[in-house]
Amino acid sequence: MKSAVCAALLAGVTLAAQTAPQKIAVDSPTLRADQTMPRDHTPDGRNISPPLTWSNVPASTKELAVVCEDPDAGNPPPFVHWVIYGIPATAKGLPEAIPIDPAAAMPAEIAGAIQGVSGFRRPIYRGPAPPPGKPHHYHFVVYALDANLNLKPGLTRADLLAAIQGHVIGQGEIVAIYERKAP
Amino acid sequence: MTFISRRDLLKRAAVVGAAAVPANAGRPFQGRHDEPDDEPERLALRETALHGEAMAPREPLENLTAAEADLVEAIVARLIPTDANGPGATEARAAHYIDRALGGALASSRQTYTSGLAALDKYSRSSRGKPFTELSATDQDSILIDVETGAATGFTGSSAAFFNLVLNHTHQGTFGDPYYGGNANFTGWDLVGYPGIRTMVTAADQQRLEKKDLRSNHKSAYDYEAFTKATAQNRSRRSPHKEGA
Repeated sequence: MKSAVCAALLAGVTLAAQTAPQKIAVDSPTLRADQTMPRDHTPDGRNISPPLTWSNVPASTKELAVVCEDPDAGNPPPFVHWVIYGIPATAKGLPEAIPIDPAAAMPAEIAGAIQGVSGFRRPIYRGPAPPPGKPHHYHFVVYALDANLNLKPGLTRADLLAAIQGHVIGQGEIVAIYERKAP
Repeated sequence: MTFISRRDLLKRAAVVGAAAVPANAGRPFQGRHDEPDDEPERLALRETALHGEAMAPREPLENLTAAEADLVEAIVARLIPTDANGPGATEARAAHYIDRALGGALASSRQTYTSGLAALDKYSRSSRGKPFTELSATDQDSILIDVETGAATGFTGSSAAFFNLVLNHTHQGTFGDPYYGGNANFTGWDLVGYPGIRTMVTAADQQRLEKKDLRSNHKSAYDYEAFTKATAQNRSRRSPHKEGA
């Protein structure tokens, strides 16, 4: 009984110590919030990852992570299109067309970043390919972390979120839309 | 970019390698025997007449069209590429195996190749702006990933089914017995360290094998009297095998 009371108090203290993550402003030279994504970021075009920019990142950020997810798909949702983490705190965003060749070096501004495993079971960005019928929403979520977590390669979105729990001090997103028409 | 890890390569080679090739795959790839012996030269002259300049003679195709063969060559080159691990499907002549086998054991897949290859190239042109054979290796990999994941459009059914078919045949053509036209010069078996068909393994052989020091004997199953073509045909008559589309 005493240990249960102590645990509850400790949990309360822990939760109280946490504040809501600072809102990060996320933008993109090619994506427009709530508008259709350019086809070159989808398999209907070149299927390259979009460029992202961010600001209002907490000053104490040590590294960042980005996830692209579609809450309108997946069993269960969301379907994950991209996981990338270990992004240096000095990065102001992600350049366009992150390499899909694992032997290729990351761009200098995000040296050390690691692409995790998406819902396509590959460690690269793969853009929207929704079934025809309705537009889907693609959330590019940016997480600012308060520590260098030395995350290993091969993390899924679920693995990443578990690993960064308690370390998220900033968060923001940009949402784009894509729809495929019936042939 | 790889479409198969090295560990999976070894696993698949163990299954496909020695004799797990569809029966009735036909005689070894030696070109068409019903054509005159000067066929390569005649083809070269025809090409020269058509294009007004000398071109290297093209090896005769048996079932694929020239355009289809070029596309299959480009695809297999990315599925098992030539890289730091060594030679790949190109050197193993996996495309030639596929061309040959589409007239025999893989005949039921011929129409699938016709429609699938056309769809792949059309998808390449519409999404990347160029025919598949003119893309960079990275862009070719990007296309093939989209085909593999089912994201590519224009295919009959899911593009993933076509990808799996071609990948399977590429494995056969790279790691199958050279008797069937692929695994040229035992390239595939050397790639995965398979020491070759042996009807007897001595204790010394076993010890060398465990030390990864057993040199390949570069023998086909059909180099052994027990595995003659007639034997294979007799076995296939007793247990007919059909290749799925």
